[in-house]
Amino acid sequence: MKTLIANGKIPLATHYNKDRSIKWSVKDKLLLGLSLSEYLAQAFRNPLNWIFAVIFTFGGYVTITRFLFGLGYVTHSSYDYPWGLFLGFGLFVMVPLSASGFMLGTTVEVFGRDDFKPIERLALLNGLLGYLFAVVFLQVDLGQPWRLIYPMFVSLGPAAVLFLVAWHVATYLSVQVAELVPAFAEMMGMPKLKAFIKSMILGLTIAGIILSTLHQGALGALFTYAPGKVHPLWYSAPFQWFHFFCSSIFAGLSMLIVVSTICKKTMAWRCDKNFLTNLDRLTLGLAKGATLAMVTYLVIKLIAIAHDGDWGYLASGWGQWYMLEIGAGVILPLILFTVSIRNNLPGLARFAALIAVLGIALNRLNTALITFNWKLYQEIPHWREVVISITVYSLFIVVYRFILYRLPILYTWKNDEETAS
Amino acid sequence: MEHIPKYLLSTFIAMLLCFSSYSTIALAGDGPDEVEIDSLAQLYEPVYFDHAMHEEVTESNCAFCHHHTLGTKIVDENCMRCHAESGATDEIACQECHSSNRFDAEYLNKLYADNTLYHRDKVGLKAAYHIRCMNCHEEMGAANGCQDCHSRTDTGDKFFHAGTYAPPESDKPAGGGH
Amino acid sequence: MKSMNRRKFLKGSLLGGAAASVISKSKNAEASASFGGYPEAMGVLVDLTRCVGCRSCEAACNKEQGLPTPGQSFDDLSVLDHERRTSEGAYTVVNRYEIPGQDHPLFRKIQCNHCNEPACLTSCFVNAYTKTPEGAVIYDPTVCVGCRTCMVACPFYVPAYSYSSVLNPVIKKCIFCYDTRLKFGRPPACVEACPREVLTFGKRKDLIKIGNQRIKNKPDLYEDHIYGENEVGGTSWMYLSSAPFEEVGFDTHLGNQPILSYVKEFLTVVPMVLTIWPALFAGFHLLATRKDKQKTEKKSEI
Repeated sequence: MKTLIANGKIPLATHYNKDRSIKWSVKDKLLLGLSLSEYLAQAFRNPLNWIFAVIFTFGGYVTITRFLFGLGYVTHSSYDYPWGLFLGFGLFVMVPLSASGFMLGTTVEVFGRDDFKPIERLALLNGLLGYLFAVVFLQVDLGQPWRLIYPMFVSLGPAAVLFLVAWHVATYLSVQVAELVPAFAEMMGMPKLKAFIKSMILGLTIAGIILSTLHQGALGALFTYAPGKVHPLWYSAPFQWFHFFCSSIFAGLSMLIVVSTICKKTMAWRCDKNFLTNLDRLTLGLAKGATLAMVTYLVIKLIAIAHDGDWGYLASGWGQWYMLEIGAGVILPLILFTVSIRNNLPGLARFAALIAVLGIALNRLNTALITFNWKLYQEIPHWREVVISITVYSLFIVVYRFILYRLPILYTWKNDEETAS
Repeated sequence: MEHIPKYLLSTFIAMLLCFSSYSTIALAGDGPDEVEIDSLAQLYEPVYFDHAMHEEVTESNCAFCHHHTLGTKIVDENCMRCHAESGATDEIACQECHSSNRFDAEYLNKLYADNTLYHRDKVGLKAAYHIRCMNCHEEMGAANGCQDCHSRTDTGDKFFHAGTYAPPESDKPAGGGH
Repeated sequence: MKSMNRRKFLKGSLLGGAAASVISKSKNAEASASFGGYPEAMGVLVDLTRCVGCRSCEAACNKEQGLPTPGQSFDDLSVLDHERRTSEGAYTVVNRYEIPGQDHPLFRKIQCNHCNEPACLTSCFVNAYTKTPEGAVIYDPTVCVGCRTCMVACPFYVPAYSYSSVLNPVIKKCIFCYDTRLKFGRPPACVEACPREVLTFGKRKDLIKIGNQRIKNKPDLYEDHIYGENEVGGTSWMYLSSAPFEEVGFDTHLGNQPILSYVKEFLTVVPMVLTIWPALFAGFHLLATRKDKQKTEKKSEI
């Protein structure tokens, strides 16, 4: 890619080429302005794509076997542990990490913080793809995925928490798609479509934050159904929803820092000056938001333990594991964020964000899999579950990259339509 | 008592049962020598109950099995609360008080209709036999397995997936899964 | 630069409120109210002092519900050497428990307890479970999506899933023989099969009286507690035991609240967020863009 840019193949960011002799077609926009052979050549040169090729070949096959031979073939068919990695990782970890969508949407559109605009679209895309692939993981996990619409149109069970999750995720996906339509409309030269969405952006954003508060909370509330099964330190009937909602705030912000760092390091050619020069300042800004959420989260976590009188559990093995999760997963990144904000160290903030993301993943996996059935035996997921999870996540990365290369997310589309005679 | 051919025995028992209700207090040797219990026989063959031998074992205290209904001394403290002075009744055989349709709607509705009925927890006939017989067998160390008293019929073998209907050797866990 | 005029504000908050209220739930969350079961519901009292582990109930259930041929025959008592749970091929199992200080083991029959306020029913987002007035908690496999939340929710670890099926995996559990018997007022197959009437079938409220009477008649034999009378809001299948219940494999830490009450705390938050968030965030927006509005007004004045 770098050689192509060095040789003058500038990445597409306008409707016309430099001297307005060629109007870029959809195919050009898809192939980044390269010819098909040039495009394929650069794809083959990328070693990451070789890794993906291996993953998709083997992992793709294993994923197909899930649908050919049933869940019993790719899981341990456990009645005591009905949920495995597909939900434990694919849903419960990916959804909080995708909270960047409503966070940045609210920051820019509701709070009017236009200084966060350069990173807003990346946050929205992170949110959309995260939720979309959470649904993909769900479809892999459901016993009868073709019945996905049943809770919405066939047989409704409105008292169930999962009912809320189903409706909200479905509605929120639409909101997120709508929020990204302006980027698509810019690239495709559809100004009316963009204006239409822009006219409802406040309503969409507020809908987004309502939906997100509730479904992030609802994912936590799902575990309130199992008071005896989740370890008391990870369980709180009144506060579980808030633990998950509050942690999703700093999860989304931290994930955004991580993703923007990856973009800066691996696809700087696609990022424009607007994005790159503001990124360090934005990173510290996101870190500030994350620290506020982290402090709130820690306080409510302590209150939850006090509320149920679970202090005694801290002395046990599980208690030590809990303190490790809180210490390394929340307190450590909190300290690092604070230091980075105080001393203007965006690099340290990026490191802290990575630890925070891992801390969130650990918390969700602890709640859903590791401390679940803490009184029973421990269950390690089937290796095929691991393979399929890696495969679907790789697909997520590939789709993410595909869109980032094309849509004006990391760069600004120069609208040169008006200057045409 | 020597073993008498079954067909003769059944006639003799039938005759005896017809006349047994006339006695007020049971005496040794009053009861039938053997009773064929076959009213519930389906999964298992009928039971050939050696009544005479059991009379000896209980030293003719009929109350061990027949409660107070034969006029002999009651053993159960709970019963004595009301039946200490109770004499014999007309109903002697187990099936005359213990229903073989204990949980049918008809029986249950009758139960719920009468609020004055004290013995609401009376077991059905099958349970009456099994509880009465097995508890004592356990205490006395007598044989207490299902087939020790009645062997399984072909229907029974099918029901239990046993004998000729047994599944092939497998390491599939029974009530399998985790 | 956004100018916040009244029309846009109304559009915004209405859109937000409408989008969210479509999914608003009208759950009547009275923390103190609980269902307590249908008054004329049937139940079964399981008297563990009578059970000898003959497994006739398992055989009867297998036949009545058309379950697959078991791995071992039902008269094979060696299966009692391991603790088993219900599975897709066995809606009920009997386990043996050695009791310290007692010379003979106790046997426990495990099956769906048909709770008054079932956790499975509470958690199902396609309304696949129904608590019938006769007391059975039945399941509709034609709407089940296979999310398996009910398996997470059931405190007794009862529902099993037919993972082996590719095209129609569904939940498998005891349904109190509702379709074939209970609906017509007849007792379930296991009750009929049991030779020692370990299982007493009758009206739930009557069974509680019977249970208490048995305890009163033999206080040295029975534990002074009917398990299931109040646990998790009360269950239709209840137990009497001659040993402490935790020694016979029961979970004695479940509490008397139905599982639903643990979820109600979140369910009450839902309508609050749906109604408060639109106005709250519209208000934040007005606050945040106040200075911009002042700037534009100042410009127009000049």
